Amino acid sequence: MTLRIDNLSKRYGETSVFASVSLQVQAGEFVAIVGESGVGKSTLLNCMAGLDSWDAGRVQVGNTDLGAMNAEQLAVWRRQAVGFVFQAFHVLPHLDVAQNIGLPLMLLAQPKAVIQAQVALMLEAVGLTGLGARLPQQLSGGQLQRVAIARAMVHRPPLVLADEPTGNLDPTTAQRTMDALIAQTRAHGASLVLVTHSEAAASRADRVLHLTANGIAA
Amino acid sequence: MLTLLRTFSWQEVLHHPWRSAAAAVAIMLGVALAFAVHLINASALSEFSSAVRAVNGQSDLELRAVSGNFNENLYARVAEHSGIALASPVLEVSTYALDAQGNKRALKVLGLDALVAASLSPALMPMPSKDAGTDTASWDSSDDLRFAMFEPRKAFANAAARSLQKDGRIHIITGLQTTSVQTAGSVAAGGSALVVMDIAAAQDLFGLQGQISRIDLRLAAGADSAALVTSLALPAGVQAQAPGDAEQRIGNLSRAYRVNMTVLALVALFTGAFLVFSVLSLSVAKRAQHMALLGVLGLTAHQRLQLVLAEAAALGVVGSALGVALGTGLAALAMQLLGGDLGGGYFAGATPSLQWSTPAALLYGALGVAAALVGAWWPARAAQALPLAPTLKGLGSAAQHGRGAWAAAALVLIGALLVASPPVWGIPLGAYVAIGMLLVGGIGLLPALVALSYDRIAPWVAVRALPMLAIERARRVRETAAVAVSGVVAALSLAVALTVMVASFRTSVMQWLDVVLPAPLYVRTATSSAAGQVLNFSAAQVQAIGALPGVARVSGLRTVALQLDPAQPSVMLVARDLDDPARDLPLVQGPTAPASGVPPGAIALYVSEAMVDLYATKPGQSYPLNLKFSDVDIAKLAINSGVISSSATSSSATSSGATTSLAKPDFYIAGVWRDYARQFGAIALHQRDYARITGDTKVNDLALWPSAGADPQAIEQQIRSYVSAQFAMDAPSADSAAQAGKLVEFSSAQEIRTLSLQIFDRSFAVTYWLQAVAIAIGLFGVAASFSAQVLARRKEFGLLAHLGLTRRQILQVVAFEGAAWTAIGSVAGCALGLLVSGVLVHVVNPQSFHWTMDLTVPWLRLALLCVAVVAAGTATAWLAGRAAAGKDAVLAVKEDW
Repeated sequence: MTLRIDNLSKRYGETSVFASVSLQVQAGEFVAIVGESGVGKSTLLNCMAGLDSWDAGRVQVGNTDLGAMNAEQLAVWRRQAVGFVFQAFHVLPHLDVAQNIGLPLMLLAQPKAVIQAQVALMLEAVGLTGLGARLPQQLSGGQLQRVAIARAMVHRPPLVLADEPTGNLDPTTAQRTMDALIAQTRAHGASLVLVTHSEAAASRADRVLHLTANGIAA
Repeated sequence: MLTLLRTFSWQEVLHHPWRSAAAAVAIMLGVALAFAVHLINASALSEFSSAVRAVNGQSDLELRAVSGNFNENLYARVAEHSGIALASPVLEVSTYALDAQGNKRALKVLGLDALVAASLSPALMPMPSKDAGTDTASWDSSDDLRFAMFEPRKAFANAAARSLQKDGRIHIITGLQTTSVQTAGSVAAGGSALVVMDIAAAQDLFGLQGQISRIDLRLAAGADSAALVTSLALPAGVQAQAPGDAEQRIGNLSRAYRVNMTVLALVALFTGAFLVFSVLSLSVAKRAQHMALLGVLGLTAHQRLQLVLAEAAALGVVGSALGVALGTGLAALAMQLLGGDLGGGYFAGATPSLQWSTPAALLYGALGVAAALVGAWWPARAAQALPLAPTLKGLGSAAQHGRGAWAAAALVLIGALLVASPPVWGIPLGAYVAIGMLLVGGIGLLPALVALSYDRIAPWVAVRALPMLAIERARRVRETAAVAVSGVVAALSLAVALTVMVASFRTSVMQWLDVVLPAPLYVRTATSSAAGQVLNFSAAQVQAIGALPGVARVSGLRTVALQLDPAQPSVMLVARDLDDPARDLPLVQGPTAPASGVPPGAIALYVSEAMVDLYATKPGQSYPLNLKFSDVDIAKLAINSGVISSSATSSSATSSGATTSLAKPDFYIAGVWRDYARQFGAIALHQRDYARITGDTKVNDLALWPSAGADPQAIEQQIRSYVSAQFAMDAPSADSAAQAGKLVEFSSAQEIRTLSLQIFDRSFAVTYWLQAVAIAIGLFGVAASFSAQVLARRKEFGLLAHLGLTRRQILQVVAFEGAAWTAIGSVAGCALGLLVSGVLVHVVNPQSFHWTMDLTVPWLRLALLCVAVVAAGTATAWLAGRAAAGKDAVLAVKEDW
């Protein structure tokens, strides 16, 4: 599924966040976006997910024009088509590991057997077999991020958006986490858009794009 | 600490002013209700006591009959006693007067000897006035005015009685007729309507020649009252009472009602403490990282505890100050709208003015602060126990499930044991403490209940995302859930307990009315038993009424007040047809067959439950009832007619004036009956026995059974005509004869039943308001809790939005959580309420009011109440969620990007 952004501009009042951003991410491609703090990387990621609005331009994922959909339609599209990985993991503290990973499938009303099977596969894939019944408080930061990766991939989304997924991790754990993320997206043929300050992480991308106030460039 | 309060704590208040305001308002409401109830009770009691003191005078000792009046010959003997400096005879008659509109109004007539009463009863001293009555205009000297006191048909009225005047005269009901007396002046005594007359004039007016009600005594210097009483050798039927007895009697009269009202008000404060608990628990949780930072900077654990307690104290002081002000206003308003007894009927006629009390204000204010501190204790301990490093990282301390469950279970157990404790000074203190323990223990068990319930429900919703999210959260953060709904549990348990108690009482009263009102129609002469001594039907009149066309059967009822214990309100002797006590009385213990178990020759008495409690009477025992009726005519009639043999009287009328008649038959307590009309005891016996031993054949009330097809209105008309005709024989005018017919009151059983239930509902109206206030406070707690939580969980909602939940679905999750939490709160509140209602019905009521009732659970009403609370809690959570699940919540996740 191709992600296509044409001449996207975003302002907060009189302040321009970014202007005339255009990019294209092919199906299965891994693109890293880098840039200075405050340049609008997170906002751009939100726009790709239909979570934030823009002032001009267009965002299209596959045949879907995000600007043409209302909030309800965007939410339904997001639950089917997008997986997220965050810097701060963002796992729900009152759900155990298996429930956290299975949540997207529950939202898609998948049968219990399918959910259990998929969750078991993902646990194995990210190296957390046997930890499904644990609560997030009982895991390390690296393990939590692998839970987040498993959750992002469990429903096989064609687009994965990751923001500084290694920002809270030590270099070794960060490398392992990136390994898991890249392996999973490759395995499922998903496009991966990574926002990062980490040169190490960015270096593993197929392409690296630099976001500035004037636009985006390779 | 003050610096921290001004900066750290004050910032929190500024950020969430409504949350702190809610806690302060809860304390304010609790303090306001409790203080208002106190002010109203204290004002009414003070006013009523003052009025009674004025009527009773300032004697060292007073001699009173156990029942009715006694022979005035005793006065001569007493007055001559060397230990007595002054003796003042008094005749007290409770009756009615007709006001300007012709309505019956209660009136007390006091007959005094003005020559001796002045120093003993200054408030009753007549103050003649030329302006007081029309006839005084003809008096031509001040001497005439002074002698007005000794004239017949001249009375001196207090302020309340003067409002009954018509053309300078008061129309006093004397038997089944009215007699007009001229108002010749005033008396200073306050309180309900009373007139003072010369004692001989009063005796003449009511046909009570030779009788007095009491003798007020001033003892000679150095006289010992106990020795004096012994040396007086008072006749049986006359007892000496200390001046404090009357006040104690008045205090006893309404004590249980006052205590229960105060406890109800304090329960609102208790609920307020839970709101403080909720607000501060969440506030501490939200500021945990800030507190941990303060800890790192050097604030000790003990200082963190002190800081939270200081915040609570500040809330308490603000809430209490507002509560005292609001309570004063509420008291003034309630006294205007409901009277000094809040509709309880204990201080009829008293019109108290509000009596502000600074010590009471300080006490209730301190209670408010104490409630806030109690509510803050656990959050303060949590702040004290914060692990600094993990908290700073945002990890907090791991939940410690089940730690308090054993302590809570122990509280419930101790509470259950305390239920069996006896009353203290007539107050069910043990039961109240038990209720408090049951509530606190029950709420402490909430986390265990959450686990018990939702651990079982969880598998059923395992793959349904929205309910799964709600149930899992409730399970995993059960302590937080318990905190959030603790106010609802406390409020709902109060509401359920009161609902069940009121329903039980109402159902029992209805069943009681069915038994005590067997006839379709009732006729009565007086609404109070005291006035019934003056206003009554003779045996001949009863017989004649029974023979009127349309009347199939007539049955009389005689009530006489007995002062068995000077410190207790009177016990009522009820003489009525008791051919089948099991049918005629609402027996709770006693014979299933008439007269079963009663020893031969003994007279069966049936005592009310209050007699068992207050006078330790027990069924199956003989009872030394000292029935002494000193009505000269009755005694003579009884002895002369041979109804009472001279050998059966311990003393008869003597020149010493000891007493006139004294029958000493054997009395046997054959049963115990439930009496909701006389809280301080009643003794029922067959009217035939009563008439036989006392010779008193008069009756106060008549129960009438019309013949088949007879028109009750026609019967009423016939009876009024009959009474008028009876009176017309010696009536001064046709008008007054017609008036006599109007003095009797008619009511159908249905009317009495309806009126009784109306009075019941009015008396308990205040409990419905308290329930509403308590539930509102509880829902405040839920609102505060959910608002704080959803704000703290904006990132979580943002994550859910990233995962594809629509805003509506996120709100559904919050609403599900509200429903899940308040549902468990409702179940717990309902269960605790049922437990508390059992304590109220089976312990508090019998110990306070000396009557029992059958437990009636209005399941449908309770179910509706619980559903309403769950719906309100769900809506509250949904509304709170709206603020946090908006578009900006989605972006909250961005804070970490």
